[in-house]
Amino acid sequence: MATIEVQRQVLPILGNPNQGARFYNPELPSSEPFVPGHRTCAGCGPSIQYRMTSKAAGDNTILVGPTGCMYVANSSYLCTPYNVPWAHTQIGSAGSFTAGVAAAYEAMIRKGKWKGQFPNIICEAGDGSASDIGLASISGALYRNHDCLIICYDNEQYANTGIQASSRTPYGGMTTFSPPGPLVPEGKKLYPKDLARMMAAGHPHCYVATASVGYPIDLMNKVRKGLNHKGAAYLMVYTPCQKGFVYETPRSIDLGRLVVESGLYPMWEWNPEQRAYDYSFRPASMRPVSEYLKLQGRFGHLHAEHIANLQKFANEQWRMMGVQLPEALLEAADAKNLVNMAAAEEAATVAETV
Amino acid sequence: MATATALKKKMVRINGCVAAAQAAKYADVDVIAAYPIRPYTATMMALAQMVANGELDAEYIVADSEHSQLSISHGASSSGARVFTGSSGVGVQFAYELYSPISGSRMPVQMMIADRTLDPPGDFGSEHTDALSTRDMGWIMGWSCDAQEAFDNHLIAYRIGEDPRVLLPQMVCQDGFFVSHITGDVELPDSGQVKEFLPPYKHPYPLDPRHPVSHGPQIMPEQGPPLQLERARAMEGSMAVIEEVHEEFGKIFGRHYDPWIEEFMTEDAEVVFFLQGAHAVTAKFAIQHMRDKGLKVGLVRLRTIRPYPTERVRESLSKFKVVGVIETNMGLGSVSSGGVLYAEVCAALYEADKRPLVLSFMAGMGGEAIVLKEFYWMTEKMQAVQKSGKIEKRTHWVGFEE
Amino acid sequence: MSTKDTHIPDWLKVPFAGITPAPTQEKGQDLFPTGNWRSIRPVYRDKLPPCNNACGTNEKIQGYLDLVKRGKYLDAYALIKEDMPFPSVTGRVCYHPCETACNRGKYDEAISIRAVERFLGDLGQALKKDVVKAGKPNGKKVAVVGSGPAGHSAAYQLARLGYAVTILEKSPKAGGLNRGGIPDWVLPQDVLDREIERLVELGITVKTGVEVGKDVSWDDLKKDYDAVVLAVGLTEPNSVRAEGEDKKGVHYGLPFLRDIGMGTSKVKLGARVAVIGGGNTAIDCAREALRQGAVEVTMITVEGNTQEMPASPEDLHDMVEEGVELMHGRAVTAVLGNGSVEALQLHPARFSGAINASPINVDREAAAERFPVDHVIIAVGQHASLAWLPQEFKNERGTIKIDRFGRLGNTNFFAAGDIVQLGSGQPLMVVNAVGDGKRVAFNLDKVIRGESLEPRTIPIDVIFDLNRMNMTYFPHFPRVQQEMLPPTSRRKTQQEVIQAFTEEQAVEEAGRCFSCGTCNACDNCYLVCPEPCIARPERSNGMYKILVDYCKGCRVCIEECPTGCLEGVPELDFDTGVVRMDTAFAISPGLHGRQAEELRNLASRPAKNI
Repeated sequence: MATIEVQRQVLPILGNPNQGARFYNPELPSSEPFVPGHRTCAGCGPSIQYRMTSKAAGDNTILVGPTGCMYVANSSYLCTPYNVPWAHTQIGSAGSFTAGVAAAYEAMIRKGKWKGQFPNIICEAGDGSASDIGLASISGALYRNHDCLIICYDNEQYANTGIQASSRTPYGGMTTFSPPGPLVPEGKKLYPKDLARMMAAGHPHCYVATASVGYPIDLMNKVRKGLNHKGAAYLMVYTPCQKGFVYETPRSIDLGRLVVESGLYPMWEWNPEQRAYDYSFRPASMRPVSEYLKLQGRFGHLHAEHIANLQKFANEQWRMMGVQLPEALLEAADAKNLVNMAAAEEAATVAETV
Repeated sequence: MATATALKKKMVRINGCVAAAQAAKYADVDVIAAYPIRPYTATMMALAQMVANGELDAEYIVADSEHSQLSISHGASSSGARVFTGSSGVGVQFAYELYSPISGSRMPVQMMIADRTLDPPGDFGSEHTDALSTRDMGWIMGWSCDAQEAFDNHLIAYRIGEDPRVLLPQMVCQDGFFVSHITGDVELPDSGQVKEFLPPYKHPYPLDPRHPVSHGPQIMPEQGPPLQLERARAMEGSMAVIEEVHEEFGKIFGRHYDPWIEEFMTEDAEVVFFLQGAHAVTAKFAIQHMRDKGLKVGLVRLRTIRPYPTERVRESLSKFKVVGVIETNMGLGSVSSGGVLYAEVCAALYEADKRPLVLSFMAGMGGEAIVLKEFYWMTEKMQAVQKSGKIEKRTHWVGFEE
Repeated sequence: MSTKDTHIPDWLKVPFAGITPAPTQEKGQDLFPTGNWRSIRPVYRDKLPPCNNACGTNEKIQGYLDLVKRGKYLDAYALIKEDMPFPSVTGRVCYHPCETACNRGKYDEAISIRAVERFLGDLGQALKKDVVKAGKPNGKKVAVVGSGPAGHSAAYQLARLGYAVTILEKSPKAGGLNRGGIPDWVLPQDVLDREIERLVELGITVKTGVEVGKDVSWDDLKKDYDAVVLAVGLTEPNSVRAEGEDKKGVHYGLPFLRDIGMGTSKVKLGARVAVIGGGNTAIDCAREALRQGAVEVTMITVEGNTQEMPASPEDLHDMVEEGVELMHGRAVTAVLGNGSVEALQLHPARFSGAINASPINVDREAAAERFPVDHVIIAVGQHASLAWLPQEFKNERGTIKIDRFGRLGNTNFFAAGDIVQLGSGQPLMVVNAVGDGKRVAFNLDKVIRGESLEPRTIPIDVIFDLNRMNMTYFPHFPRVQQEMLPPTSRRKTQQEVIQAFTEEQAVEEAGRCFSCGTCNACDNCYLVCPEPCIARPERSNGMYKILVDYCKGCRVCIEECPTGCLEGVPELDFDTGVVRMDTAFAISPGLHGRQAEELRNLASRPAKNI
């Protein structure tokens, strides 16, 4: 059978302004695959992520949107903000629908039924889809190594249905399925599933990385690395949800930085060629978790012991990345040094030397 | 039309599963989504070998579940690829979520179903309940009764489903084991015939970066009805296309099918069996035996259940005195407390001037063959009703009653 | 047939299978304008960066640093030339109040603005043809008396405005204080010569050896020119009023430097030299003395320590590095010696007031100190020589009396530079004189055009508070240092001490600029907008457009603006095409018929270029 060789796009990696003295974004592409006119909340973190991701990908892109807030809010009332092909799929179909699109293009290009460079195929799954109901389908797509990028926009909850706990909701996070009460003062008792490491461990031939909207160029570069990787890639992006986290809308990007600086969202890349984690990303500073928690209403009920628990969790994350912990963060993991959320300001000063 | 002498046709002896795989190969499908479950597995095994041999250029995907199989098919079809998938039994159920989205987005995915009973307990036997439970999801659906018909139905279904006037997915069903695993003579056509019959798949609005569109956005409640109405129109509108396509198939391939029902020895019949699928083969033998004895018995086999040929069913069945519906499916607590086919038959007959009496036979359940003896028994029941003119017991569990 | 005789009313028309055609990049999803969710609207409002504010001539420093950062050197040079005729000079000699004001100084180290200015100035010098052009001739003649910084600046701006300008300079060479007051190893003569040439290229006539009051009179000026700018400077050195100041071996700062600069100096310095004074001229004299052969140079100041000295700290540092000794808190009360100076008599002294210009209290009760020297250079300021000026225009400070626009009464005479700034509280520095010359030139132009002179009333918002910016975006980064000649070798040579930035250094240093309060098109707002409703039609300052039909007022852009130029203002009215709240939540029925139509015509749409 005569077949046509599939040509693939190679997207250039953007220079990172954080490495220089100035602040000035690199030359960004002018195309806007994601346009305004959608019903996401003001300051929506996942929407910021959508904008950056699609911008990094460019026009030869197909987006797949499993059910989630980015489906419901973005494509309301037969209006969609996508200037590239986009398709809804079921919440459990994130990986499989995407695989279908990728397989179709492999076959169609090979058989001469579609002419052009292989498109970027990106799935935008929420954490409910990626971590719970669609986990198997995503694992399947990664395992089979379809040339696609699966993004989990991680807002740590089922936001679309009105803020319910997912397996990514952090310890202590209040949701309508994990409300605090006299018997459960911390709200959510379970710690979040380490989804990204699970993906890297189980699919070591894939490019896997974590990112945050707080670091836009890093995020866009990871998107491009994932797309350039021949085969499947998985990216988990921290995207704060103003409604569920209960914070002031302008802080969306700020939270994206603080979550990394507090160690609650380790940033790393899995290098499939070397079969190794790359932990070289370092935020500008390290902060106690209280600085991150105090900005959000969902943690407003926490007591000192719970904050200390979260600090312990964060400290473990730092250790997993091979980071030497400063004394102040070790102290912050002891409830004696924290009183309650009201004293989070003081907790911050504990670590001022960091 | 190609002339018979120039055609490179081939007679082979294959089972229903392989016939389906051959049809997929002749249709030059682009994407195949597989997941093992008996008995349809053999179809995917055959396709895997064809791809491995280089006989078929397709993306062969071993999915992680039937749900994923259908999602993969949905995605691939949305992108403009011709897709083939399939399942059996509980596998059909596992994918249930996708049936409405696929037909609602008007993607002509083709799914081969080799029937299997639903759990519990685990049973490999054939029963139509798996596919029939999805019958109202907007898929074109019908049963074949042997390998040749299965082969033909797959090609025909692609042609119907991909017609721009239709654009609906299709379930091409065959009875597990009775068709899927019983070999029969199948005429494999000349590829030129298939090319003539089945043009390349072209969805009008695929996911193409050059012409971006959005598939499946959320709607306002009042936008639901017009979209549902459009889907209903497509389903109803497909009836004309189905007739047209069967006729053309007959012209090109020389095998002529009535798209809706097949009647066997019904000219002067007073009592008839009404069924779908492979049990028709045994039924025909039984009827011949009974005819030899002078019994006026016949057979009406439903070939397409969705869209349901209400008028044809009414027109056909109203000629008889008694109709015995052989269910081969479960409709627990349904109208007849038996299967679901009874309701379909009775509803079609309700407005008929002359209505036959209708019995429901729970036979061929769990993969049990319906043996000749049982056909005779059922005929006796029908004759008794014909004689008394009224129905004492509507539903009979065949083999469990005297 | 259930669907027989059904029809979908127009207001419920939907596209096939709910498949919607993609919205366009230009218009966005215009069925869904979300702008009416907004209660606060972001606006771009540039503030004045502190450097621009502090600069004596208000150079657009942030602007040219930004252009250098992008490698647009020629544009940067053109921008600097709007306010500064000779960046090559100020890039070497300026006391850089901009760097003192620089917000980066509060964060790590101030931007080395002067070094970047010099980089641009040298770039301009190397140009075959300057980027600046003379204005369309307006037929008016203006005389500028004096070719120092103020006169140079005024003449330059007037030429750009279209005046026929004649510079009258009493010295044999033009340049004024730029030439006479600054040593070669700070400002090489050829650099200044090139800048004077640029004036001639602009069509300015430079007449040297013409002294007002001697060669031309007040009335001549009045008669021959439509207007006159007096920028005659302070020509006469102040004395220390010490006994025996007339002895041989006593020199005065400016004439000492000027004669060396003009090449007419006959001074042969002995081994021990004392310099009296604590300002920049005194420093230049002390360092020049080393180069003129002195072995031990001591600077004697009334100021009690180096912090009080009205001199630039870098120059002071460089001087000390070259080996000049400092002696603080003393005044010269007598010059001792038989005919020529042999020693100085010193007494403890301090200024009576807080500023250096206040009278000096000398403690004559204390024991006198004898300080043996071979030569003494007195550099304690200058005063004016205004014998030729009509009495009505003289003031009690011994300078020219002007109004706040630099104008002499109702005449077409204006005055600028040290001659008006002495004692006004303005520092007597090159850049201040340049600024004064520029402002006077514009005021003169207004008067000639018959416009009234109005003081500025619009308040200036200068960013001093780092909290008004987002410092997250600025990692700490050290200042790029200019190369210097080593102290031991430089003290014997006229070679330039401070070396110029390389291109890479200039770009790196300009890159440190915060761009305080001023949009520098960093693209951050554009990138972080969740809608995205910030449009970037082209890339230049302040060229972003907020699509108010869609902006929901989340303020992420404001929070994340590194420079602080974005502000939130309360939304008062929906003055654009935004529809009211109800329709933003529910599309008005019937709109989707349009989408159905668009979808049907999809094939006829031109394919998107991928």
